[in-house]
Amino acid sequence: MSLLAPGAFPQATNNQAALAKQSSIIFVGTVSQVAATSFTGVPKSAQTVVVRVDSVLKKPAAVSLKKGDTVTVEVKDPAAFHEGMQATFYTEGWIFGSGVAVKELGHAAPSSPSSGDTPGAAETAEKTVGQVQSEITDQDLQRLLASCDYVVIGRITAVHPWAIPKSAGPRYRTSEHSANWQEAVLQVQAVLKGPKPKKNKMVVRFPLSRDVAWASAPKFQPGQQGIFILRRDEVSGAPTASSGGYKGDVYTCLKPGDWLPMTEEARVRSLLKNR
Amino acid sequence: MRALAGCHTRVLALTVLAVTAGTLFGRGQSPTALRSGAAPTLAKVVDLIPASLSGETNQDSEPFLAVQAANPQVMVASAFTPNPISSTGNAPVYVSEDAGNTWVLSAITPVQRMTCDITHAMSIGENHPRGDLHAGTLACAASITLDESESDDVSSSAIMNVQSSRTNVDQPFVRALAFSNVDHIYIGVNDLGQSSGRTATVDVSLDGGTTYKSFSIESRKTMGQDGPSVRPAIAPDNTVYAAFFGWRKFNGSIATSDVVVVRDDSGATGSHPFQALKDPSDKLPGRLVVKKVSIPWSNAPTLGQERIGSTLSIAVDPNNSSTVYVGWADRGRKGDIYTLHVRRSTDRGLTWSKSDLPHTTISNATNIALAVANNGTAGLLYQQLSGGRWVTHVVQSRDAFATIQDTILATVPANTPAGQFLPYLGDYDYLLAAGNEFRGVFSANNTPDRANFPQGVTYQRAADFNTRTLTDGSGNPVAISIDPFYFSVSVLP
Repeated sequence: MSLLAPGAFPQATNNQAALAKQSSIIFVGTVSQVAATSFTGVPKSAQTVVVRVDSVLKKPAAVSLKKGDTVTVEVKDPAAFHEGMQATFYTEGWIFGSGVAVKELGHAAPSSPSSGDTPGAAETAEKTVGQVQSEITDQDLQRLLASCDYVVIGRITAVHPWAIPKSAGPRYRTSEHSANWQEAVLQVQAVLKGPKPKKNKMVVRFPLSRDVAWASAPKFQPGQQGIFILRRDEVSGAPTASSGGYKGDVYTCLKPGDWLPMTEEARVRSLLKNR
Repeated sequence: MRALAGCHTRVLALTVLAVTAGTLFGRGQSPTALRSGAAPTLAKVVDLIPASLSGETNQDSEPFLAVQAANPQVMVASAFTPNPISSTGNAPVYVSEDAGNTWVLSAITPVQRMTCDITHAMSIGENHPRGDLHAGTLACAASITLDESESDDVSSSAIMNVQSSRTNVDQPFVRALAFSNVDHIYIGVNDLGQSSGRTATVDVSLDGGTTYKSFSIESRKTMGQDGPSVRPAIAPDNTVYAAFFGWRKFNGSIATSDVVVVRDDSGATGSHPFQALKDPSDKLPGRLVVKKVSIPWSNAPTLGQERIGSTLSIAVDPNNSSTVYVGWADRGRKGDIYTLHVRRSTDRGLTWSKSDLPHTTISNATNIALAVANNGTAGLLYQQLSGGRWVTHVVQSRDAFATIQDTILATVPANTPAGQFLPYLGDYDYLLAAGNEFRGVFSANNTPDRANFPQGVTYQRAADFNTRTLTDGSGNPVAISIDPFYFSVSVLP
């Protein structure tokens, strides 16, 4: 495939893959109007063009978008677009109403008809997006692994409420957003990242609250085994613990991907190895 | 596909005028105890989820609403709605430019992904006719962070400008009104950083949000803090009231609380604001409307799938600031979980009705919201658990609720969908007056069933009312979830 003139999508397929990773919505479409919008509620400007969707390559499940719909695209360079032009649009969501409005991150145009043995833009982009989509989870996981202090395999041996020290009292007044901190004692079986913990034991502080602020954080129970992606506690305000024979730093595990089942062990090890 | 059900202009089958007096306790959705006779109210109910997000299944709870005073066609609504496409994108709000008939979702708040509290107000002091939006938001981050922010044009899709920010506060509640071409903004917050334990606070900006000053409005000793809800109310004559729960004892499950109202007669422009109203019992600022009521506190599913502990509302007559209403919930009779009450003052908060106003002792209910229209009609929005259903009422009265018009906006199953987090429906909903309409928002189960919406309903998202199913716009079924609903009803003449 070839790419549009400079300014539109200046690099080659590697960049297309990078764009695909950044993009939340990717589709092949044909420009039907320039300096226009497709639904009320989107601010019209010289940068907005209306595009009829020919095929959808990537979108979140919540978003309704299908062949034949019209989309408002806020483009980077309006001069690069004219009515009747077909392109693959790499975009991020912007405004959602009776239709979808997106902002262009980049676009690619077909160099030849999408027929015969020569793949057109749609097929090429679809292939690239397919490759990227299977990599995104790894990419997110890679990010978590890179930013954490510890990656360990272990088993929770005990869970108890955290007794908040008096010195931290003012920080723990009552609110609907109270975390209801618990401490889980983690018996470490293998360290995949970080120094070996003392006596192979760590304390993980986690919010039991189902409040909107904490609902997605992992919750732990005695006997629970898995892969723990841990950070030193910078949240609770008292980052050390002294109980049950353990005295030392406390760790947190707050994002949905910070705890993984053992079935993910090979993937985690591989990602850590390839960092 | 755009699905419509009912008609917002249809006469209300369940709108009734009560000519009975006295307290109605444990009232369900059946208005059999009431006699009909009121002029029919015109009602409109709209599911806010846009057609292009028909596949969403979020728990869009805790809704709020702002109406542009200069152009009531323009409105902003919010809920616990995440950014639909990105975990790192900005949290969105819903914007309507046609008086609530249609809404778009636009990611303009300064908070990443989803707010953990958001309220807002639109005023006209700075001549931004397309929506001068002032918002108070909490970020769902490790340390709960309050942003006080502004948008000059909610239609522009530009990210709101943060004007003030701090941590360790709860439940920002924004009210704003224009005075001499400048927006005065009053944000009730529970400032948990107040070392004195007198945490009920109002953040005041007299310059459109450029600068804020915080004023503790609690003058008495607390058990270490006040309750989460701090609610301001503004009248155009520069009278500002605020209500809060003065927590005197707390054992983890019951707060022994005063319901306190403070007042300022000059828009909080003085150096010691909110001290105009003193209680005769101790001569301290803050009138004790009721003393030492027991308020159950449960941060777990308790009333249906909803948590309870802090529902409070205050409203002032815009044309007679001597008349002010306050409503709250506490533990009612034995066996009851959570009971609403409404009281009224007609002398600027000096004295209050000795008991609940008629028809306002409402059991097993929450999310109270009060408003007063230009003609003095009082409005009361609440959600009641009744017969296994969440029933959303808007009640109007011209005579302090001695006679009422009770309009049921929604009656939906309370056991579905399963809660994703708390709050299930919200720690609050909202009601306000705009011209000859009461407008508001509530959250509810979104099953497209005409029987659930007695006034009719309009869905923007794809829905099949014959099969009572949601679809993703391509015909694939979508699970039932909690959606925010906008409504308007005409004010009693």
